[in-house]
Amino acid sequence: MKNTIRVERAIKNITQAELAELIGVSRQTINTIESNRYVPSTVLALKIARVFNKPVEHIFTLEDTD
Amino acid sequence: MKTRFLFPYWCRYLGWALFLIHVPVVMLRKHLGFYAHSPGEGLLSSQHLFFMATTLLMAIGLFLVAFAKERIEDEQISQLRLDSLQWAIYLNYVLLIVSLIFSSDTQHILFLNLLVPLVFFIIRFQWKIFQNNRLLKKDGDLR
Repeated sequence: MKNTIRVERAIKNITQAELAELIGVSRQTINTIESNRYVPSTVLALKIARVFNKPVEHIFTLEDTD
Repeated sequence: MKTRFLFPYWCRYLGWALFLIHVPVVMLRKHLGFYAHSPGEGLLSSQHLFFMATTLLMAIGLFLVAFAKERIEDEQISQLRLDSLQWAIYLNYVLLIVSLIFSSDTQHILFLNLLVPLVFFIIRFQWKIFQNNRLLKKDGDLR
C-alpha cells in the first residue's frame, strides 16, 4: 500500500509533528507510515483522511503486490 | 487508543532501579556470606531466601521495564510490542528445546527460561524504537 500523506501535508502546510498531534499518535508513527514501514489501522487511516478532508482512497492506494 | 495490561510510564524507572539493585547484590553474594543455592538445603534456608529475594528483584524489575507504557502509546508501538514478544517467545522455545536436549541442569534451564523472554523482548523492542527515532531524526526535518 502506498500513500500520499507527505504530499497532502505539503499542500496543507503542516509538519509530521503537527499531524501526529492532530490525530493523537507519535511523530514516529507518522514517519513510519509515510515511509511505508507501517500500515495504519482503518481507524487511523480514517482519522488521517479527515484531517486532510479527503476520502481515504485518495490518500491510501493499493499496489499490485498487495 | 486504549491499551490494556500495561504499567504506567514511571514503572520503567522503578523496574530499572530494581534490576540495578539486584546486580551488585548478586555480585557481592560471596562477600555477604551467601553461596549458590542448592536444592538439598531445603526451603526457607538463608541461601534459599537470598536466592528468592534476588531472583524476584530481577524478575519484577525486568517485568516492569518490559511492560511499562511508552510515552506515547499508539497502535504502531503496540504492533512493535507484539512483534518483539513473538520473537522473544520463538527464541525462548528454541533455547529451551536445545538446552533440554543437551543439558540436564534443570535449575539453570529454568533460570534461563525466566530471563530470556524478558531480556530479549526488551532489547528487541527498544532497538526498534531506537531505529524509528533515528530514521525520524534523519528525515524528520523534511516537511
